[in-house]
Amino acid sequence: MTALKIGAFYNPHLGRELAAAQGIDHLAMADPPRADDPWWPKIKARYTLLLHDYLGQLSEPLDERSIQRARSLAELYHTPWVAEHFQCLHTEDGAYNLNYVFPPLYTEEFLTRFVANANALKARLDQPLVMENIPGFFDVRHSQMAEPLWLRRFFEATEVGFLLDLPHVWLEAHYRGVRPADWLAEFPLEHVIELHVAGVSQDSDLQGPWIAPAEPAQEMLEFAAHAVTRCPRARAVTFDAFSPSLTAEVLLRGVERIRAALA
Amino acid sequence: MTDRALHDLVIRALADAPFRRSAEWRQRALADPERVERFARFLARHFYFERIVHFFKYSGALARLTGRRPDAVLGQPAFAALLPSLVLGSQDSARAVAGLVVAHVKSGAPSPPIPYHDDLLRYEQTMMVVEAGPRVWREAGNGQPATGNAQPQTVQGTALLDLAYDLPAVLPKLLQPFTTVPDAPARPVRLIVARSRHGRVAVAKATDAIVSILDLADGRKTLDDLAREAGLRPAEVEATLQGLTELGAVRFSTGS
Repeated sequence: MTALKIGAFYNPHLGRELAAAQGIDHLAMADPPRADDPWWPKIKARYTLLLHDYLGQLSEPLDERSIQRARSLAELYHTPWVAEHFQCLHTEDGAYNLNYVFPPLYTEEFLTRFVANANALKARLDQPLVMENIPGFFDVRHSQMAEPLWLRRFFEATEVGFLLDLPHVWLEAHYRGVRPADWLAEFPLEHVIELHVAGVSQDSDLQGPWIAPAEPAQEMLEFAAHAVTRCPRARAVTFDAFSPSLTAEVLLRGVERIRAALA
Repeated sequence: MTDRALHDLVIRALADAPFRRSAEWRQRALADPERVERFARFLARHFYFERIVHFFKYSGALARLTGRRPDAVLGQPAFAALLPSLVLGSQDSARAVAGLVVAHVKSGAPSPPIPYHDDLLRYEQTMMVVEAGPRVWREAGNGQPATGNAQPQTVQGTALLDLAYDLPAVLPKLLQPFTTVPDAPARPVRLIVARSRHGRVAVAKATDAIVSILDLADGRKTLDDLAREAGLRPAEVEATLQGLTELGAVRFSTGS
């Protein structure tokens, strides 16, 4: 395994701090830079940037407009890979939209759709494609296989990279009542290129933990340290915190603690 | 039913609270209803948090004067009371949530007073309501709208907003650091607020020609009809329609 790069998400409201920060190897870009962002030129000049925008949902083929947008962002960032999510969050007719990542049904039909559409997208990109796992808060009884098996078959069929979001795995394990390390072991870790690490906090609607723009707890850091030993092709770990409420202190300390935990 | 269609039902159930209570959904027993309800409420709060922060950003910038952060409504009982009726993305739900925000922000008297505060809140509320509605996520063809001999039609939900203050002159200044609240010129302006098929909301000052064409464009009249009835030159109608199409206020129907 090559030396892991440790990075964070670009939060434009923290542009000043990120432009001067030490100890951050890369920044993931969740949104295109704003035209009036005074820190963007310095950020672009200084950091390796990872394209992590909303590109679409691969239950349907991306249209030409979305592909051109992805290509143009990839070129702007000089990204080493392009990230997309295993998500299906709006209805086919556009009438309903959850505005939040939501996983597909784990069925043969959806697997066929995602494989075909990921292969089509991959063929139109000049960079490798990586796909991020998305947590389910509840199981849909129509699913035909467990998520890890569905993912394994997807990666074998497409040979795209795996962006392993560890808090997503941790949350699923929590809500399933299983040990996170045991649940993690089910996933196709040999395909992992990048890992996400993040904090979780109690959510009053969910009546349980969920992703939050907070520092990762010690348990999550230990989970990350365990996970990277199982991911021989991993090249980067990213502190997955992106929110207007995120403070520079939390972001910088989060990266520092991840780096220390993985040293 | 395909898996894709079944998944659409799950998405709808998460987005549409009345549908979650329907027999059509409940009889399918696709998922633990308690879990679905909890996740749906989480999604609703997230959905409206993003929209309130975005569309009420000027009120957010004025919060240190009003003492009212717009997104604070999401933690109030009035929002919780709306949850059983919310349909994410519907104009009615956007109107209800935006109404709560306006009432909340208005309940804090800014010190010193901001003369254009009511106009500002109406502007932000209108933006949030116009943004709601179904959207095109992917183009089936080349994405170019039909024109030619087609008949223009005003897009449902497009809004005209009459203001007593020239808000566009002051809005950018509200997002910059300031010690005294920037002034807005006290002169009436009429704005058109529209939404593209992809959900992008845009605002422009409305001219008399724009107002006439919006009134007349019903999807049946041709460009010549519009020019004659509005008393405008065809070239002026064409130029105005091009601007309105780009804004998302007008689209062309090709008939059946």
